[in-house]
Parts: sequence; structure tokens; C-alpha cells
Amino acid sequence: MMLSEKSIGSLISSFFKQIGALTFFAGHFFKEAIQPPYEFNELLKQCYSVGNRSLPLVSLTGFIIGLVLTLQTRPTLQEFGAVSWMPSMVGISIVREIGPVIIALICAGRVASGIGAELGSMRVTEQIDAMEVSGTNPFKFLVVTRITATTLMVPLLVIYGDVLALYGSFLVEHFKGDVSARLFFNQVFNALNFSDLIPAVIKSVFFGFAIGLVGCFKGYYCEKGTVGVGLAANTAVVMSSLLIFILDFIAVIISDIFYDL
Amino acid sequence: MARSASERLRLGILVTVATAFLVVAAYLIGDKENMFSKTFSIGVLFNNVNGLKEGNNVRFSGVNVGTVKSITMQNDTTIKVVMVLKEEIQPFIKKDAVATIGTDGLVGNMIINIIPGKNTHEPVQDGDQIKSYSKIGADDLLSTLSVTNENAALLTADLLKVTEALTEGKGTLGRLLNDTTMAEDLSKTLTNLKYASYKATTSLEQLSATLNGVDRENSIANVLFKDTLSGMRLKSVIRDLENSGENLDSLLTNLNLIVYDIKGGKGALKYLTTDTVLVQQLEKTIQNIESGTESFNQNMEALKHNFLFRRYFKKLEKEQEKQND
Repeated sequence: MMLSEKSIGSLISSFFKQIGALTFFAGHFFKEAIQPPYEFNELLKQCYSVGNRSLPLVSLTGFIIGLVLTLQTRPTLQEFGAVSWMPSMVGISIVREIGPVIIALICAGRVASGIGAELGSMRVTEQIDAMEVSGTNPFKFLVVTRITATTLMVPLLVIYGDVLALYGSFLVEHFKGDVSARLFFNQVFNALNFSDLIPAVIKSVFFGFAIGLVGCFKGYYCEKGTVGVGLAANTAVVMSSLLIFILDFIAVIISDIFYDL
Repeated sequence: MARSASERLRLGILVTVATAFLVVAAYLIGDKENMFSKTFSIGVLFNNVNGLKEGNNVRFSGVNVGTVKSITMQNDTTIKVVMVLKEEIQPFIKKDAVATIGTDGLVGNMIINIIPGKNTHEPVQDGDQIKSYSKIGADDLLSTLSVTNENAALLTADLLKVTEALTEGKGTLGRLLNDTTMAEDLSKTLTNLKYASYKATTSLEQLSATLNGVDRENSIANVLFKDTLSGMRLKSVIRDLENSGENLDSLLTNLNLIVYDIKGGKGALKYLTTDTVLVQQLEKTIQNIESGTESFNQNMEALKHNFLFRRYFKKLEKEQEKQND
């Protein structure tokens, strides 16, 4: 209802304001991240929260991606008599694109919403204000640790997801095509190059950073009471997902320039 | 605190395992690209690299032995490709090895295939350059195929005409296929041929037996076929016969001329041969002469007994008797 009343100009203005605010937030993060003291314990706690707690979901998702991708592609490759190319195709698809993006989206759904809701509720219950009053830097304690945790853990989760997706793909090939594990993984790694692995890991770092940044940004600047908490969690997911696709597009262009894919 | 320690342990395991996966993946990819093994590089010049890229595989006798390190233009027609190969393969690549650019499968990545050289040559050294061979490209292949297809189309059109004609029973082959009478005739012909063949076999056997007989010594045929002395004699006989024939021929020619002259001339012989009246007259004359001679003999006998000539005849008898003695 509110959106319908806004003019297009104010929407565009709001969008750019959001981008500007997010950029300042990111700048603030880098400033606080470099400066001591470092909240190491809180960082580890957040790493555990982001990494270990997301692991079952990421593992299951990765495994199913591998299974489904192989099952769906198999009939088409069979038509062309190119089933032997399945490991190479699945390997490149998962490592280069599907693994990082899907796992990042899963993390966006789970982690960004969690951070947004957590920080949002802290904001509306004035816990952040209380921290400031008590002399603790809430940005360093809450935001820096979370963004760093997502930046570090999402690439690791992507690697886990990739491994499990390849394992899922191998299981399909093993039971349907009688392909041995040695042959499957040999073909996968014969097809893979550093031009596939390095950009994938680097963009996963950026995906993690984007998830943490958006989640913290939305939660840290949460408004309008308990309704705002839900909104913060929701917009954190939407915005971080959108940002993941934009970053992925940029990453593809940049890796294309560097690696001539 | 206990919970925190447990969380850290789990986090540590997660980070370690994930990092291990990353390291293993990096190692496997790096190993494929020969980053962790001793390598040497060799160069090769091509006129066309057909889309070859840095990092493409290099195969030696079908085994992956390295990757393409760099592709640089030497001049407007020559491209230098430097390959990084595993050092363990160095003794097997001879200086006369030949590099070609191919594809991994029908539509796969471009690869360099190194065809082994002869064992008589020295192994390549780091930085050496080997020869290249440009295989026929896909475009050339397709254009050749296009020509082949056109020819095949023409051939099939002709073949269609031929088969149509055959089906309609035109021409010898068509009739052969469709005409039942001709088939029966052919069948009969074949039967006859069989019979003829049987007869020919029998005849050949007989001939063989005859020839075996020829082989016997002292037979005329054997002498004729095998005795060289008799052969020489026969030759001289034949030569004499030829001469005699020639003489006979000239004789006959002369005789012909004489006969011609007799027939064409006006001599007595012509009338003797052609004039029957003359012959009759001659017969009468001869008869008259015979009767005249008989009368003359009688006269002479009477003359012998005449007293006038009796002495003369006795004298002649006496002289004859003397001569006989």
C-alpha cells in the first residue's frame, strides 16, 4: 500500500539511498575490522553458528543437487551417446557455477535472515543501544564478527556442498552407468582447471561477505518494532539473494577477462 | 565454557576438512597441469592452431603428458606453441617426433598429439623444437564431404534409373530378371552347357590318352614330335617336295602354254585333237597303210624268192650271222 503511493522517483531515490547506506556500512565494517581490539571469541562463535549449523542443510542440498543434475542430464546425454562426458560436465557445472550459487542462496535464506532477525530484535529491544552505553562497540562485536564469519564460512560450505554434489552425481553414475569412483573423479579433475576452481572460491568469499553485510545492515538498522524485525529478516534474504546473482554475473565477466573461458 | 570448547572443536573439524578438500582439489588440478612434477618444454611451429588454447592437453601416443604453455605469433604465417611436458616422458620423445593438432573426441577440446619418432634419433632436450604436421581441418573435411555427397546423389540417381529399368524389364538384365521364358531358356542352355562340358571332358580325356600314346617311343607321332633327326630329314623332304612342286608348277605352266598353242594354233595337232573327221580319215589312212604295208611285205617276200634278188638277200643273212657270232 505504501509502495503504491510512492512515485517512481522516490523509489529510485530510495534504492540509491539503500545502496549508499549499504556502501557506508561496508566501509564502516572494513574500518572496524582492521582496528583492534578483535572480538575473536565472538567471531569463532559466529563461525560455528554460520558454518556448523548450516552444514546439514548445505550437505543435503549439495547431495541432492548432484543427484538431480545427473539424473536430469543423463537422458539427454544418452541421446547424443555422450554419457561418458557426464563426470566432466557435472564437475564443471557444480564447481564453477551451481555449487557456489545454490549454497550461497541456501546460506542467504538461513544465515542472512537469522542475522537480520537477531540484530533487528536486538535493535528494537534496545540491546544495541545498551551495548553502546556500556562501552562495548556494538558494531565491532555484532557486525564485524558476523560479516567476517559469513565471509570465511560460506566458501568452506561451498566446498562441502561441491564435494557432496559430486558424490551424489557419482552415486547416480555408479548405479546407472556402472562407473567406478576412480574413473568418475579422474574425469572430473581432468576436466577441471584452476580457471574453474579459483574464481568459484573467490566469488564464494564475496557471496559470504554479501550475505553477512546485508543481514547485518538490515538488522542493525531495523525500525518499526517487531514488525520491522520480520521485515528486516525478509528483506535481508531478498536483497542478499539478489546481490548474489549480481555478484555472480560480475564474477563471470571478470573471470572471463582473466581466464579467457 | 564446555559448550564453547565443543563448538570450537566442531568448527575446527569443519574448517580443516573443508580446507583439506580445497587443497586436494587444487593438488589434483595442479598435478594435471604438471605444477608439482619436474617438467621440460619443447616448441613446435604451426601455420594454424585451430583454436588451441593455453592449458590444452598434450598427448604422446594417446597418453596425457603435458599442457600447452604458450601460443605466440612468430610472423604473419607462423605460430609458435610451447608445450610443458613431464620430464619422465623426455627419453621417449625423439627429435624426429611430429606434433599435430586434433580434438579430444568429435567435438571436444583441442589437443596436441605428439607422434613418436624413430628410435634411431636422439631424445629431445629442453627448449628443442619438433616438426609439425597440419592435418585436414573440419572445414576442408566438410567441403570434401560436400563433393562426395554431390557425387553420391548423382550415383544414386543413376542407380535409381538402372533399378527402374530392371524392374520394368528393360534391357538384357531386366529381361533376365523378369522374362520367365528367358529363364527357362537359360536353364536349358545351362543344361546343354553342362552336357557340352561333360563331352568336352570326355574328349579331353581321350585326347590325353592319345597324347600318352604319342609319348611311346618308335611311334610315328613320337618320332614326328620328338625326334630332331627325323625332323631335320622331314624338313629336307618337305623342302625337296617344295622344289618338286615348283618344278611341277613350271612344267604345268609350260604344258598349259603348249596346250594353249595346240588349241589356238593351226598345226596338225589341233586338228588331231579337235577334228573327228580327220581322225577318222587318219584311222582309214592307217588301216590303208597297214593293208598297204602287208601287201608290201608280201611283195618283198615274193621279191626274196625272185631269182634276181635271191643272191642279195642271202648275202645279207650271212653278214648278219657273222655279226651275231
